[in-house]
Amino acid sequence: MPVPVLKQGSVLIASIQAALSDRDLVELRDDLADRVGRHRSRGVVIDVTALDVLDSFATRTIRSIAYTAKLRGAETVVVGIQPEVAFAMVQLGLSLDGIETALDLEEGMALLQAREAERVG
Amino acid sequence: MTDLVKESSTQILAREMALTEQSVERRRRIVGLEPDDLARIAGIREVVLAQVDHFASVFFDYLSGIEEGRVLTNNRALTERARELKRSHLIAMVGGDYGRAYAEQRLELAVLYGRVGLELRVFIAAFHRLLRSIGEAVMKSTPQAPLEAFASFMALKKIAFFDIGVIVDAVVFERERVIRQQQDAIRELSTPVLQVRARLLLLPIIGVIDTHRARLITDSLLKAIRANRAKVVVMDVTGVATIDSKVANHLMQTVTAAKLMGASVIVTGLSAEVAQSLVALGIDLTTLNTIGDLQGGMDEAERALGYRVVSMDPRRDGAPLSPG
Amino acid sequence: MSDSVVVPIERETDIVCARQKGRALAAAAGFLSTDQTLLATAISEVARNIVSYAGKGTVTLQTVQEGGRRGLSIVASDNGPGIENVELAMRDGYSTGKSLGLGLPGAKRLMDSFALESVVGVGTKVTMTKWLR
Ligand SMILES: Nc1ncnc2c1ncn2[C@@H]1O[C@H](COP(=O)(O)OP(=O)(O)OP(=O)(O)O)[C@@H](O)[C@H]1O
Ligand SMILES: [Mg+2]
Repeated sequence: MPVPVLKQGSVLIASIQAALSDRDLVELRDDLADRVGRHRSRGVVIDVTALDVLDSFATRTIRSIAYTAKLRGAETVVVGIQPEVAFAMVQLGLSLDGIETALDLEEGMALLQAREAERVG
Repeated sequence: MTDLVKESSTQILAREMALTEQSVERRRRIVGLEPDDLARIAGIREVVLAQVDHFASVFFDYLSGIEEGRVLTNNRALTERARELKRSHLIAMVGGDYGRAYAEQRLELAVLYGRVGLELRVFIAAFHRLLRSIGEAVMKSTPQAPLEAFASFMALKKIAFFDIGVIVDAVVFERERVIRQQQDAIRELSTPVLQVRARLLLLPIIGVIDTHRARLITDSLLKAIRANRAKVVVMDVTGVATIDSKVANHLMQTVTAAKLMGASVIVTGLSAEVAQSLVALGIDLTTLNTIGDLQGGMDEAERALGYRVVSMDPRRDGAPLSPG
Repeated sequence: MSDSVVVPIERETDIVCARQKGRALAAAAGFLSTDQTLLATAISEVARNIVSYAGKGTVTLQTVQEGGRRGLSIVASDNGPGIENVELAMRDGYSTGKSLGLGLPGAKRLMDSFALESVVGVGTKVTMTKWLR
């Protein structure tokens, strides 16, 4: 099941659904890279609220999405990491160095807006 | 696995005690129950069934006759229920089926004993009286074959000891549950997460941190971040006596996990000595946002949230504040 | 035995299946949701290694009991190429798959006990257990 991507202004929002397969994630990465270029998006929000596990592979792929988007001029924010998932991630040794995180979609959008204002102002 | 029927409290207890078909089978083996015994029990079945009420009375009369037993017998409603359960217990004892369901049925009485605070030694003494009177009845039923009767009674006794095993385990398990809950409550009290204002949490850490407590702290902080939609957390470690490398790692993990959820953590109260010893241990604190004292940390947090910190004393504005 | 589940791992969708089964078993055994997540994550790591490095194998989930305590044991086994240097594979950051190299050492941190056995050309077996606290 592909990850739905929504365009809102200059921001792309990808809402990851529960039982995400590896292929979906890899496809999302390619899809986002393509769309960021096409729409000249300034920001990408990856909403992982529905994910109950973020393992090494998923983290690596999300990181590579963020770096790819960055190279194409968009900032990525990962939103909605659940308390238990965050705990499991740090125990595993995973982090999202250099990638913005926010509590939820609303916060993520606000954060991107603030970044954009900084950049323009 | 997704059973829609609501579990009864004894079913839940049975599950928590891991009373599975396998473990019950193990219990049967421990008391040495063999196919032979089942045949013998069947042989005295009628003798027991004929006097179920009498045997139950022996049990409860014993209890009401001694001080320690009255915690139960003074409670009329519960005694009625217990008597009912004891009667069905006696019927099941000679029923021939001693599987999981049988063991589970023993739990309700165990819970009841635990609830009124009936001591195990008192229960065991009463149960002994009951068994003795069953033994007498069995012996009397076949006076021509006393050895046969004795063997049959010994077979039934295996069931009795099986029952005692289940009941003792259940009472102990319930008692330990209370202790566990108390421990959890104490731990929770010692790691409060306070909401100072919208989106700002204060986590004062006091006392000794071990691995278990560190986990609880992290757990409650992360949940509080979500529940309060917190953006900034001030973690004050003034009250932590010593920070070794293990504790430091825990704290770092907590900070990282909070960051993953989108909240930033300001650590305050890290003394120079502690900081130095951590550096000596090779722990990298550079990624931590540390501020000397709690007040400074709170000011920084409010700034991060976009509140302006106004000082009553203009000379002190922006300068580090004294602790307290 | 009702509380043991064998999940065949052949493609990556099986990884999701294994961790969902693991979470359900953990919940039934009485694990709190934080621990369920830790277990599901560890299962995800070992199942993924099977897909990535061995092609196929199995993940066996079982509730266990020992000396009055209860837990969930996870065995991931495959007949794949095996691991040449087990010690190295357990090191943070070691990966032959250009990945993060955190799967095995990370899973060990998530669990209470962890054992990795591997014979080159024969296969790999990870046995790990988490106890109810
Ligand atoms: N089932 C297996 N069969 C063969 N080799 C394996 C197996 N599991 C792990 N390995 C080897 O051990 C190495 C370390 O595994 P580990 O899971 O720790 O890291 P990774 O899979 O490379 O990266 P990550 O799990 O962080 O994405 C792997 O790179 C691989 O060489
Ligand atoms: Mg791996």
